[in-house]
Formats: sequence, structure tokens, C-alpha cells
Amino acid sequence: MASNFSGALQLTDLNDFITPSQECVKPVKIDRKPGKVAKIRIEDDGSYMEVAESGEEKKLQKAQITLNDCLACSGCITSAESVLITQQSQEELYNVLQENLRLQQASEVDKKKLVVVSISPQSRASLATKYQLSPQEAHHKLTGFFKKLGVHHVFDTSFSRNFSLLESCREFVRRYYESETNKTALPMLASSCPGWICYAEKTHGSYILPYISSTKSPQQIMGSLVKDYFAAKQGQTPDLIYHVTVMPCYDKKLEASRQDFYSDLYRTRDVDCVITTGEVEKMLEKENVTLGQVEGNTAYCVLSGFGSPDGGLGSHLGGGSGGYLEHVMRYAVSQIHGSSVDSLQYKTLRNQDFQEVTVEIEGKRPLKMALAYGFRNIQNIVQKIKRGKMTYDFVEIMACPSGCANGGGQIRPMEGQTNNELLQRVKESYDSVPCVQPDLWPGVKDIYEEWLGGVDTEKARAMLHTQYHGVEKVASALNIQW
Amino acid sequence: DKIIRIWGKEGDKWVCKSILAEGHQRTIRSVGWSPCGNYLASASFDATTNIWSRKEGEFECIASLEGHENEVKAVSWAPTGLLLATCSRDKSVWIWEVTEDEEYECASVISSHTQDVKYAVWHPTREMLASCSYDNTIKLFKEEIDDWTCCNTLESHTSTVWKISFDQTGHRIVSCSDDKTLKIWQEYLPGNPEGIDTIGKESAWKCVCTLSGYHNRVIYDVDWSHSNGLIVSACGDECIRVFREEEISDKNQPSFSLVCTQNRAHSQDVNSVAWNPKEPGLLASGSDDGDVKLWEVVLD
Repeated sequence: MASNFSGALQLTDLNDFITPSQECVKPVKIDRKPGKVAKIRIEDDGSYMEVAESGEEKKLQKAQITLNDCLACSGCITSAESVLITQQSQEELYNVLQENLRLQQASEVDKKKLVVVSISPQSRASLATKYQLSPQEAHHKLTGFFKKLGVHHVFDTSFSRNFSLLESCREFVRRYYESETNKTALPMLASSCPGWICYAEKTHGSYILPYISSTKSPQQIMGSLVKDYFAAKQGQTPDLIYHVTVMPCYDKKLEASRQDFYSDLYRTRDVDCVITTGEVEKMLEKENVTLGQVEGNTAYCVLSGFGSPDGGLGSHLGGGSGGYLEHVMRYAVSQIHGSSVDSLQYKTLRNQDFQEVTVEIEGKRPLKMALAYGFRNIQNIVQKIKRGKMTYDFVEIMACPSGCANGGGQIRPMEGQTNNELLQRVKESYDSVPCVQPDLWPGVKDIYEEWLGGVDTEKARAMLHTQYHGVEKVASALNIQW
Repeated sequence: DKIIRIWGKEGDKWVCKSILAEGHQRTIRSVGWSPCGNYLASASFDATTNIWSRKEGEFECIASLEGHENEVKAVSWAPTGLLLATCSRDKSVWIWEVTEDEEYECASVISSHTQDVKYAVWHPTREMLASCSYDNTIKLFKEEIDDWTCCNTLESHTSTVWKISFDQTGHRIVSCSDDKTLKIWQEYLPGNPEGIDTIGKESAWKCVCTLSGYHNRVIYDVDWSHSNGLIVSACGDECIRVFREEEISDKNQPSFSLVCTQNRAHSQDVNSVAWNPKEPGLLASGSDDGDVKLWEVVLD
């Protein structure tokens, strides 16, 4: 089946000669306790008993294999992605909405789920371009469309992106000062692209992970906002909220299903379902409407992305992939040197997806940062780090050439339109929204105080940061290299 | 045996001049000299490609190109010496650039083939790359604007294409396959007098000749001499065969005839053959039997 994931992810999942009969590598999970030697005996019923040196027997737990295990394991047959795609799709959203309707009719309202949809600005730009609307119109109409289907709230990840940007900036400056004693503090590598993260975890593991920023992506910060802050405000427990995000790529589905973003306490994910822009297009087709025909809904909520002083939508500097380099550089210059930069000069290196910015700092070495989009550029960055030849302090890494606006889940070009032409229009639409500084965005400062108790608190770290796990290559009989 | 041997002629004999060991962890599948002759590239099943530099007669490994997911099947230097191509079982072809400070950086990762890519080779004069694969196709690649893309796909073989070789002009390719045939492909430029359709500025390539019935098993290697136009093939039936284009041969329907067959050239599969670039008629062959043999082709 044709894979829709980013190039980086597709290339790391190949084993063409492995037959469908390969056994899963995790039939029994054995807790590795150092120093203890035990025998394993297989009982007649197929269960496994651990027999310790003392003769003590313990029945071993059968490992639960989640979808995530399959996707993270580097030795199995793949095609778990087809399961993933059915588990996270617009069909699932329809199912939840149907269930709500049924519960309503059966008067079991307290079992109903509060359905929230958070739309990414890249998806919005793609839809706005297709249906020839302004981003503002697209936003209102998408709100109207989802609400008509039974969704309760429609938010915008532009809002949660502010937190992601602010945290990244602060993290960078902290690491900059730490770099004098800590060798792995710099370069800092952006963390919002799950294609990049999964590739780094699977292929490069522990030597690259310390460099990756611990800041969560806008999608996952929105997940925390919805399932913690918003849930509390609504007086709803997180498991009774169904959070859907609309994203420009399929890799975001993998991100949402990470164990780190699952609450054991409430047995719920921060983001329950990711649907792509293309899947929203399918929904519109199923409902037999074009976005232009939908009646707009102008309901306001601080989480809905209205950041402009005039009450309209807000955006940010730095392009369609979040603007990490732009913000980190400006903030770093202001903190380290006390000055501000008017505009950053980008220098294109070997190709358009590899650009660098250098800012001279009086009395110190210049700050050098880079954008590296696409697999070939990621390769070069990783190899430079591996060989100790890295000259950048920060790299905004994205798996897709041309960034998120060109994600694998965006709406495809029409007949006669080239991908480049469409991409240009989508970028124009994205850039047409006025920029607002993250710390000046209405609601951001208040939520830091109200929800997290301030900046850099323990709760802030728990809600806005995450961690990474290298994937070991498990040696199984079928993995042996001949 | 994970070792590279460099052989040189001393008087009448060929001697092993250098042994490059400990460069790779697994089988070395392919080696290639740079156009200037000062560097050697080795591609290995350990997923890396090493670059060796010759300094005062001694070889030193100066770089290791990593990135392929699994076995690298071939490495090839572009005629300028500034680009390299590697291809792998991971179905991708990678293009590497040699920077000013002798660093090797990934310039592109091309995922056009749908199966294991067996071989990649540069055009003799243009910056164009050709590759062939277990997916039965041959693909041609060029740099367009910002990235390398596939500009032609040559389909005709009914099984794995193991090797391809450009003729001296670069307008023809010979390919060998598991389907036991050799095929000759002709390039037709835009506006060609034969009236073959081309798309935009791209050439079209057509299979103009198929040599079948000569080989009894899979053909592993083929080489088109740039000095005398002879084609040599290496076959799983232990034979080496040499073909020549006939005097009266139509460009659009060329005829090739078998000049000679060396039966039992080796005691096992002949995996590899190559013409000496300087001495016409001199060719080398390698086999599963562990021998490298040198042959002289004498034409009447």
C-alpha cells in the first residue's frame, strides 16, 4: 500500500524480504533486572514461567502489544500503518459523533463526550486555497462545518504554538549558557516534527537525542491545554473529551499515539485522533458541500486563534513550519546581547531547503542557526553532529521538503496545476495572516499564570516538555544479516 | 572476505600491491576508482561506502559515507570526480557531493525504484545517472532546479536488471538481466529525424535490440568497451561472451553478433567483467570461485 508518511519515515521502515509469517518480537515481555539469572519454562498451555535460581516460580505477564510498539519496533513487518490509518481517521470522528447522538437520544447524557477539534494553520491555508477563501473565512466556515456535525468547540493550534515557541526560545538560551560545561547542550535541534523525531529515535538513537529540544510541538501542547486546562474549566474529566486535530501530514498521527502523551490516570490521550487536511476534504465531499457554501460561525474562544489586536486571526514570523529559527534567534540575540534584530538574513546553501542565518554578537562568537528541511539535509546535519563538525547553534529540522505547508496530508494539486504552483498559493495564504509576537498574544500570559502558575514552574515543565526514547534494534532470527 | 586488494603489473606479472582490510564489517560489493585515480570508493553490505585516498602509494580511509538503511550494492564516480552515486537494497539511490575541504555530503536521496537497486553508473560525459533494479527497470536521473529527479524509465526486461553500461558516445546503453538477455537501448533526442515522440526537452530511450538465446543462466555483468565497441558479458553459466556490432547495422535496429564464447571461464558463476580502459581487448573477470582472471580478446 502506498505510504503517506514523510520521506524520512518511509526510508526507515524497509525490509522487503521479510515474509508475512515473521513472529512478533514481543510475545513475552521480560523485565530485565540486572544480576538476576533465571530460567524460562514454557508450560503446556503456552504461558511462560520464570524459574529463579531459588526454584521460585513466577508466571510471566504476556506483553501487551500496542500499535505504538509495532510502529516503533525496527524489526517487524510494517503495515501497522494501515491499522493506524483506520484507527485515526475521519471515520472515527464520525463514530464518536454518532455515539454522542445515540447517548443523547437514550438520555445517557453524562456519558457523552465533549468533542473538540483543533485546526492547524497549515491545514487551514490548504483548505482556504482549495476553496478560494481567505484564511479568516476558511476559519469561520470550518468552525461552522464542524459544529453542524456535532463538534462542540473548534480551536486553532496557532494559539498553542505560542507556548511552543516561547518554551523553545527559553530552552535555547538556557542551553547556550550550559554549553560551556555541557557538550550536548548545543546544537539544539527543533522537536515539533514527528517525522524527524521518529527517524532520530529509530536510526540514530542515544547519540542524537540529547540534542533535541524537549519542548512539545504545538499539537501536543494543545493536547495538554485541552485535556488539562480546558477540561478543568469545563468541569469535565479528560477521558470524556474527544480531542481531534487537523494536520498537514500523517506523521502527526504517530506523534499523537506516543506513550508520552497518554495519561495513565485517566486512560486517555492528549490528542485522540489526528485527521489530515485531505481527510477533511473527504468529509466535505461526503456531506456534499464545498467550504464556501458552509455558513460561518464566528464564536470566540481564547483557544481559537484570534491573536490580532483587531480580533482577527494571528500568525507568526518565519514561514509555514512554525518559525522556530526566527523566534529562537531573535530571542537569543535579545537575551545574550540585549539588542533586537530588524530582520534576519537567510542565506541559501546547497538547496532551497537548507538555509542559514548568522548574527554577529559584540564580544562573543556569532550565533549561527540553520533551517534543514527534507531527508537529504537532515542526513548532512546528523552526520556533521556525529563527526563533531557541527557549526550551528540551532537547527530547525523538518522532514518534508518545503516544510509543513507541503505536508503529505495536504490537499493535492488540481488537474493541470503543478505541486509547486499549489504550494506557492498555500504559502501565500498562510503568510497573509498578520503576525503577532507570541508573548503578546491575548491569553498566553494569563494562561501561563492561571494554568501553570507562572513560567518555568514544575507544572510548566510537565505540560510543555517531553522526552525521547531510542529504539533498540531487536535481534531476531529473521533479522540476521547474511 | 571484507578485503580490498590492489593489483599492479610488475614486468610480466600481476602482483597484489596493497591489501585494504578492516575498512568494512561485511562483504564489499563494489569498488570504483575516481576519474583522477587518486581515490578509491568501496561499497559494502555493512551499509557504508568508504573513500580511500592514495598517499605515497599507501591507501588511507578518509571518509565513510553513512545513511543507507541496508546493503549498499554499488558506488560510481561522476566524470568530474565531484559527485558520487551509491545505491542500495533499501530501494534508494543517493547522490553525494565532494566539497572543497574533501568532505562528502548527501546531495540527494532518490526513491524512484520500487525494489533493491543493483547498480548505478554515471553517463560518460553528462551529469546524468543511470540505475537498474530488481524491479526490472532502468532509470535515468538528472538534476532539475533544486533536486535530482527521474527523467526516464526504461522498461522491457522481464526480470532483475543486474548491470548497465553506456557506450562511448553515451547515446546507447547495454543492459543485462536475470531474464538471460542483453538489451541495447538507443537515445532519441527531441526533434529526432526518426519521429520518435519526446516529452519537452527530455530524450526518449527505446530498446532497439535484444540478444536472447545466447546465455543459459542469469547474466550478472556487462561492459561496453569505449575503445573498440565490443560488449562482454558475465554469466551464471560460467561463460564469458563477447559481442560485436555488425558492420552494416541500422542505428534503429542494430545487429550484434557473438564473436566468441569462453566456456568454463571459471568453475562457478562469473559475477563480473570489465574491459581495461587503456588496452583494447584486455578484460578482467571475477567469479564466485574466488579467482580474478585476465583475458585477451583477439579478433581476426
